[in-house]
Amino acid sequence: MEESRKTYRREFLKKGLSLGLVAGSAVILGKPDFILAKEKPVSIPDLVAVKNGEPDAMFKKAMSLMGGMGQFVKKGQTVVVKPNIGFPRKPEVGATTNPLLIKTIIESCYQAGAKKVYVFDNVVSPTSGNSRNCYQISGIEDAAKSAGGIIIPVDDFSYQEVIIPGGKTLKTAEVHGLILNSDVFINVPVLKHHGSAHLSIAMKNLMGIVKNRMEYHLTGLDQCIADFCLYKKPDLNIVDAYRVLMSHGPAGPRDGTAPNVELKKTLLMSRDIVAVDAAATKIFGKNPEDIGYIKIGHKQKSGNMNLKELKIVTYAM
Amino acid sequence: MKRKLIGMKLTKVRIFVSLSVFILFIFLFLGGETLSEYLSNILLPFQLVPALIRILTKPCAIFIFGLVSVFVITLIFGRVYCSFLCPLGSLQDMIIALSRKIGWRKKHSYQMPQNWLRYSILVLVILSATVGSMSVLNLLDPYSLAGRIITKFIQPLFVWIYNTIVGLLTNFNIYLFSKEAAWIPTSVLLVTGGFFILILILSARYGRLYCNTLCPVGTLLGLISRVSVFQFVIDRTRCHECVRCEGVCKAGCIDPRTAAIDQTRCVNCFNCLDVCSKSAVSYRFSWIKAQKVAWSPARRGFIIGTVASVGSALFMFNSGIRSLLGNASASPSPPITPPGSISVKHFTQSCSACHLCVSACPTKVITPSFLEYGIGGLLQPKMNYAESFCDYECNLCGRVCPTGAILPQSKDEKKFTQIGTVDLLKEKCVVYVDKNNCGACGEVCPTHTISFIDKDNILYPEVDTKYCIGCGACEKACPTTPKSIVVRPNPVHKKAMKYAAKKSNMTVFQKKAPYKDFPF
Repeated sequence: MEESRKTYRREFLKKGLSLGLVAGSAVILGKPDFILAKEKPVSIPDLVAVKNGEPDAMFKKAMSLMGGMGQFVKKGQTVVVKPNIGFPRKPEVGATTNPLLIKTIIESCYQAGAKKVYVFDNVVSPTSGNSRNCYQISGIEDAAKSAGGIIIPVDDFSYQEVIIPGGKTLKTAEVHGLILNSDVFINVPVLKHHGSAHLSIAMKNLMGIVKNRMEYHLTGLDQCIADFCLYKKPDLNIVDAYRVLMSHGPAGPRDGTAPNVELKKTLLMSRDIVAVDAAATKIFGKNPEDIGYIKIGHKQKSGNMNLKELKIVTYAM
Repeated sequence: MKRKLIGMKLTKVRIFVSLSVFILFIFLFLGGETLSEYLSNILLPFQLVPALIRILTKPCAIFIFGLVSVFVITLIFGRVYCSFLCPLGSLQDMIIALSRKIGWRKKHSYQMPQNWLRYSILVLVILSATVGSMSVLNLLDPYSLAGRIITKFIQPLFVWIYNTIVGLLTNFNIYLFSKEAAWIPTSVLLVTGGFFILILILSARYGRLYCNTLCPVGTLLGLISRVSVFQFVIDRTRCHECVRCEGVCKAGCIDPRTAAIDQTRCVNCFNCLDVCSKSAVSYRFSWIKAQKVAWSPARRGFIIGTVASVGSALFMFNSGIRSLLGNASASPSPPITPPGSISVKHFTQSCSACHLCVSACPTKVITPSFLEYGIGGLLQPKMNYAESFCDYECNLCGRVCPTGAILPQSKDEKKFTQIGTVDLLKEKCVVYVDKNNCGACGEVCPTHTISFIDKDNILYPEVDTKYCIGCGACEKACPTTPKSIVVRPNPVHKKAMKYAAKKSNMTVFQKKAPYKDFPF
């Protein structure tokens, strides 16, 4: 009796120790899901849409409906916030993501315990030979810095080539190292008209994290945009539809001509990049069926464009 | 003794001033937008060739002041320009000092003047520039040559060091934008490299031989300093013929046998004053004396002849004769010249190929040409859309160009200066060929030249060249090889039209009360 109890105790200690070791190393290796059962709370919606507020207020409302930033950013994690800063335009033109929204997102990430929040975009039209002017003119550099975000210039040294699993046209892509090495990727596009892709939203915004963007143009924009989602989907997509550029996208009008902007004061949030693009397309006033890359993305099962099948929470402020 | 002290001071002053000027020249070429423009306005009016060309193409007060100062200073003090202001002179002095240190050439010696050669070169330079080819002048002009050496050899080194530091700083979470070196064709690199090696060998072995045989500026200033107010004189009564002065004379212009100093070749380095232990060498007011001693009708005739020929050459500079060799504009497809350069003809006839614009251009679209402008426009820069595009919001090249080849333009003026127009080659364009959306050209077009027509959800590009300014953004962005959209040059620049959007399309449209309900 005495003997067996001892054995039991020893066995218990052994088991406990090894269990602890496994758990500990799992945490260290960054895979806590292994032990902490990751159950999606029933109340989390597939897509949240908020309107009639200012960018910061709408974000806060949408995030609380989504279950809080803690759903996405854990303590000590590194985060990439990827706005659209493609063109040297002021926020009023609607060609770039709203700076106040970016600032609020970064603050929210830090509140959730993020270690570092990076902000960057591989700009299309830099002025004066570097992307700094784009960053400055769009107001995003100042906004991000005021919230403690780290602005990254996009230079050649940090891109790495990856293979796109099942990519039909886009077989490989050179992806920015920050995307590969950070824990959380938050995609913050602006909804706008696009001269050669109809619309630029969340899926299109991912062209700003790759280097071989010209390959997309050469071999077919729609298929390549959809193919990239087979490799990487953001952890969260937040679509800025506050000021929506309705024509002359993606750059907007030049020389101070008044931009054709509609003040839609809307914000969309979803983990599903195809769904959020489909919803934004409807906000713009177009049919998702007509947007090539959304259709292909749905067909390739990167997400669901049939909004009727999704659990959508809407809120008008 | 007293004189010796002054002499020592003068060499030190020379070294200090020339080194400072040289460092400023490095900053002029590599310092970035603001610094380049600022230094260009300060330094370049006092460079002889740029100032001369500027006055002939588009006179402005500061350049006239600069040129007159250079001539007046030379007339009073001799060729101080060559030892104090000339960047190529400073570069050679550094090489000479190094050569002396490592013992390649410890002592200089008297050299015979190469009169026939140097005066022929001067005449050739003036004649060729007069009939419209800047090539000989550009190859030999010391400022432009120094500029090319900085652009080709110092710039890449500087950029490499800068980028290495930027790379290292990322380890400390400091992120800066890296720099890009200008793209240089191999032929231009070889020509500049050849001249650099020539300068290296000549200066290391023979001191300032380049300045006294090949350099047209040195020869011209030599003619003036022949009659300068202050001159170097050897007092034979004091001289012990130790020939130390000959040993330190970089110009090789002190002949100890006759105790004569050749004023036309002396570059005013003041080394001889410094080294003479008996104070036999002096630098003094000697106009009257020189005229008494060396007055001859023949020499006077020579001087008057020179002045007259230079004057008449300058007069002809802007007349029709200059088109004789200025044939680049006649070729069916000349290179595209930077905005502000008016026409290929204006540009090729006033550019000294110093490549300051090449160094300063933020997008590095300006690259040196080799023979594209023809033999008359060797090394002059062009717009290179294979490498980059011209930034819509930038007018820096015109702000730094000293010769007036690229005239300064306001940004508003620049935005409507049509240096060329695009040609869309539909038989190559992927949208027309593959029926796939692309639109890379339209994204970057700053002038609404490119628009898209929707046909069955495919967006086909169309161009309207009346808005096009030929900036090449679309050509650079076009993903096809060869390019499906290319800029064709305007040999004479034109004015582009301002884009006016259709009224209904462009009014700021704001819904008063957004719908309560969502479209899903």
